[in-house]
Amino acid sequence: MSKLFSNFNWKVQALGDHAIQFYLPAMMDPRVIGEIKNFNDFIVLEEIKGIKDIIPSYHSLTLIYDIEQIDEPIVFANNLIGKYKGQGEVELPNKEVNKIIEVPVCYDENFGIDLINMSSKLNLSITEIIKIHTQNIYQVYCLGFMPGFAYMGEVSSKIQFPRHPQPRQNVSAGSVGIAGAQTGIYPMHSPGGWQIIGRTPVKIFDKDPKVLSKFKMGDQIKFYPITRAEFDKLNQNEL
Amino acid sequence: MSIQIIKQGIMDTLQDKGRYGFQHIGIPSCGYLDYLSAQLSNVIVGNPKDAPIFELHFPASSFIFKEDQTICISGANFVPVLNDKSVAMNTAMHVCKNDTLHFMQPLLGKTCYLAIKGNIDSSSWLNSKSDFISQIKTNDQFNIIVWDAENKKNSPLSDEKFESSIIDNIQKHIFNSNEIRFIPGPQWNDLSTESISNILKQPFYTSLNSNRMGYKLKGPSLQLLEEKTYLSSAVTRGTMQLLPSGEVIVLMANHQTIGGYANIGQIILVDLPKLVQHKSDTLFHLNLTNVATAHSEYKQMQQWFS
Repeated sequence: MSKLFSNFNWKVQALGDHAIQFYLPAMMDPRVIGEIKNFNDFIVLEEIKGIKDIIPSYHSLTLIYDIEQIDEPIVFANNLIGKYKGQGEVELPNKEVNKIIEVPVCYDENFGIDLINMSSKLNLSITEIIKIHTQNIYQVYCLGFMPGFAYMGEVSSKIQFPRHPQPRQNVSAGSVGIAGAQTGIYPMHSPGGWQIIGRTPVKIFDKDPKVLSKFKMGDQIKFYPITRAEFDKLNQNEL
Repeated sequence: MSIQIIKQGIMDTLQDKGRYGFQHIGIPSCGYLDYLSAQLSNVIVGNPKDAPIFELHFPASSFIFKEDQTICISGANFVPVLNDKSVAMNTAMHVCKNDTLHFMQPLLGKTCYLAIKGNIDSSSWLNSKSDFISQIKTNDQFNIIVWDAENKKNSPLSDEKFESSIIDNIQKHIFNSNEIRFIPGPQWNDLSTESISNILKQPFYTSLNSNRMGYKLKGPSLQLLEEKTYLSSAVTRGTMQLLPSGEVIVLMANHQTIGGYANIGQIILVDLPKLVQHKSDTLFHLNLTNVATAHSEYKQMQQWFS
């Protein structure tokens, strides 16, 4: 665990009458994510009665609480920060080793429906875009938008591309997209504005309570290319 | 015992208090839109206040009862008609086998609740029966299960009559107030001075473009001091997001778990039902309040149900 651990200066604000938000300076940074994950795991282990949800994001951690069980939320929140800081640089007992999750992607133009346009605008061949997209290890910054949708970064500046000004009505489940410096996978058919460069055959969200989301905040992801034939063999998503 | 949908409405669902503990993976909490009317209806029939209930919007579903049952209709007044006779709201009512229930017109409010004494049998997902994507459909049939002893114990009333002054208080609170209160959010101070004064002085009304995800407000156009982008953070029920168009959207039960628009405030929980029930033809004002007030009023109202 890095020395930064004790240097992070957590602040807290009330988010209305039933949520508290802890936050750090606004930046997209893997070290910030690491710290948020630590604080998140600490609070999860505390098993505090009256906390209904713990929601991490890029630079914040939000607790949804039951008004009838938490009095004086800001006092409660500051005590929690104190307790967390007070434990020093203790490794959390159930801390998992951050393994890299490898995700197969078929970058076929029938799936990567924005590849041709991106290729001409970025002045890169499709092969180069695929090479660059599969080079980085991405960090999951947060989940949201829909069940299981993970916002990952950071995409190389060479292939960063803005969202479509008008979202598409229907993006297929498994679609892999880029929006600025972020990349992500649509877990299910939905409207969406990201630039679609391929599709994964892997199921990203499963309603089975034992499975649910393939990714969680703080996970590390690496994409690797597969052929259309391999995709067809592996596909678990609804076409 | 069972109840069947004869004809489905446009957006009717089964809801309970919602699905918590999964927002970190992007699963919305869902649950009652107007939790006060839902809880009221439940306790009037003798259910635990957080029991599953039918949430109806106009045009609403029609129902047929397959056995004798006790029901209560609360929230929006859609002019409920049993067989061909208009019936009262907010009162426990006995219905007989083959009675039918229809809703005639949206007289007052937007969201109506139909409580049935007993537990509505429906599959639970992640500890909640709240519909997320699906809705109740024509020919759907739900069994009504008699509460077991433990659940019965949680029900405050058993078969006593609910105090009518409390019903009046709740009705007045939801339907007779044009003041909706909020607590300033993280980006409140990013608003222009003129926008802050407009929020607090100008009236608002709800857009027709409002649903279980969010209610869009119509009123003065609001601006930030300077154009700014924000890193997404968690949002919650009641969060007032300022859209780039200058409009405010207030997030409701099915809202996305995180958001990147300016978070200018949060409507307090006790006032959310007022907003839920506000039709676009009535104006309301937004006023500032604080956490302590919001908490004490919330606790007081929850006391009424226990």
